[in-house]
Amino acid sequence: MQDLVWAPMTELARMIATKAVSPVEVVRAHLDRIAALDGSLRAFITVCGDAALETAKAAEGRLMAGGALGPLHGVPYALKDLYDTAGVRTTGGSRIFADRVPTSDATVVRRLAEAGAILLGKLNMVEFAYGPEGLNPHYGHARNPWDAAAHRMAGGSSSGSGVAVATGLAPGALGSDTGGSIRIPASLCGITGLKPTYGRVSRAGVLPLAWSMDHVGPMTRTVADSALMLGVLAGYDPADASTSVLPVPDYLAALTGKIHGLRVGVLGPYFLTGATPAVRAAVEAAAQTLATAGAIVDEVKLERVSLAAAGSLAVVAAEALAYHAELLRTRAAEYDPEVARRLRLSAFVGGVHYVRAQQVRALVREEVDAALAHRDVLLAPATPIVAPTLDERQVALGDGPSDVRAALLRFTRPFNFSGHPACAVPCGFTEGGLPIGMQLVGRPFDEATVLRAADAFQRLTDFHTRRPVA
Amino acid sequence: MTSDPIDLETLRSGARLAGFTWSDAELEEIRPQVEAALRQLRALESVELGSTEPTTQYRTV
Repeated sequence: MQDLVWAPMTELARMIATKAVSPVEVVRAHLDRIAALDGSLRAFITVCGDAALETAKAAEGRLMAGGALGPLHGVPYALKDLYDTAGVRTTGGSRIFADRVPTSDATVVRRLAEAGAILLGKLNMVEFAYGPEGLNPHYGHARNPWDAAAHRMAGGSSSGSGVAVATGLAPGALGSDTGGSIRIPASLCGITGLKPTYGRVSRAGVLPLAWSMDHVGPMTRTVADSALMLGVLAGYDPADASTSVLPVPDYLAALTGKIHGLRVGVLGPYFLTGATPAVRAAVEAAAQTLATAGAIVDEVKLERVSLAAAGSLAVVAAEALAYHAELLRTRAAEYDPEVARRLRLSAFVGGVHYVRAQQVRALVREEVDAALAHRDVLLAPATPIVAPTLDERQVALGDGPSDVRAALLRFTRPFNFSGHPACAVPCGFTEGGLPIGMQLVGRPFDEATVLRAADAFQRLTDFHTRRPVA
Repeated sequence: MTSDPIDLETLRSGARLAGFTWSDAELEEIRPQVEAALRQLRALESVELGSTEPTTQYRTV
């Protein structure tokens, strides 16, 4: 049973399809682990235990009857609690939506069900996804599992997704990423997190933070599992006008392990110089690992990328307030006070700020496109720091002091702003045993190359196989 | 577009124009963050934009 909760989704799918293990056994193993550990980890807001077991029994029946199986038949997963689920409350991590029960599934939830995946439950998150630290006063702060002695941040806003996957409570999960909310918890919790290209995966039925910056994506322990999930999630959806009609490639088939001749640009100033020494050393070592395997590595400087901080602030603030204005007028006292402060601040971001930010966004996008014109992927730290303790407010970066919130967002939000796909994977550990994450960024809609590079890195290293103390 | 520091009356006016009636205590609480945000947003004013048109979303095809 212990092995089942650490098995990758690709392996669980294979074992179930070959009847080496029953979906009921797999689901029960994960539910048992959730029951044993989640009281302290606080990864889940809602556990769908009975429904998951019923679905698993039905999946076992179909398997024994010899019916056609989806690519995730019988494989459990969990959802950040901002995906609509018919008949199961979707809180957005908020007390305001504590009893909100959707009548239909988000498009991606429906696609996962059609692929045979089994929902274990809904995961903890920052209220309305508005914050990178991973804190939630309503449902408890999810606990980073890599330090038994201190309560460290899981990272957010997909905090429960990061913790659940890192601790074997779920083999995979969905997060959402507006400024780094998949990649930040992936980095701090030592797992893989993929933010696809804007428009690759439908956002229909997903509570928004900022429509033009929100991305839906998988969080898993291996890159191959993210590739498996993306193949199910991706594709045009008439319910989301921003989705692309481009065909969905076979992402698993792209994982050849071959990176000879792959052109990798290491993002230098702003990224490497901004990172703490341990993070910088780990990312430089990762670049060397890729080079040793045949990649062609050079350094890239992005001049405009630092503007993404101000630009993202304007765009996210304006769009978030547009969604929350009525609730903020009528139910302000029920918000997390920190989230309420961020939303109130948004009232002072003007229309001119918003439009100038969108103009700057075009320039940043062009610059990232130009860097990728003669390279296949870009490499950078996912976060400049490892998981801070809950009471840390300031951190020392490679180029000066920073508040924790700005530090966590610094390297991820440029690619929400630009829309490029980016995959975070673990690339080292500090002497104290905390995971370090890097991200690989690719051309629009070329997730296949990003995943191939990240998977090749995981074949060359064992950082993604280490287990936390919890 | 903006300058700092910002006094309470300016905050009151801005909030009212945006359709919110927040207490003075609530406005005082966010004053430092508003000032910091507006300082940060000034970075957008110094960018040479030329004829660049605003992006509303990534180019989906």
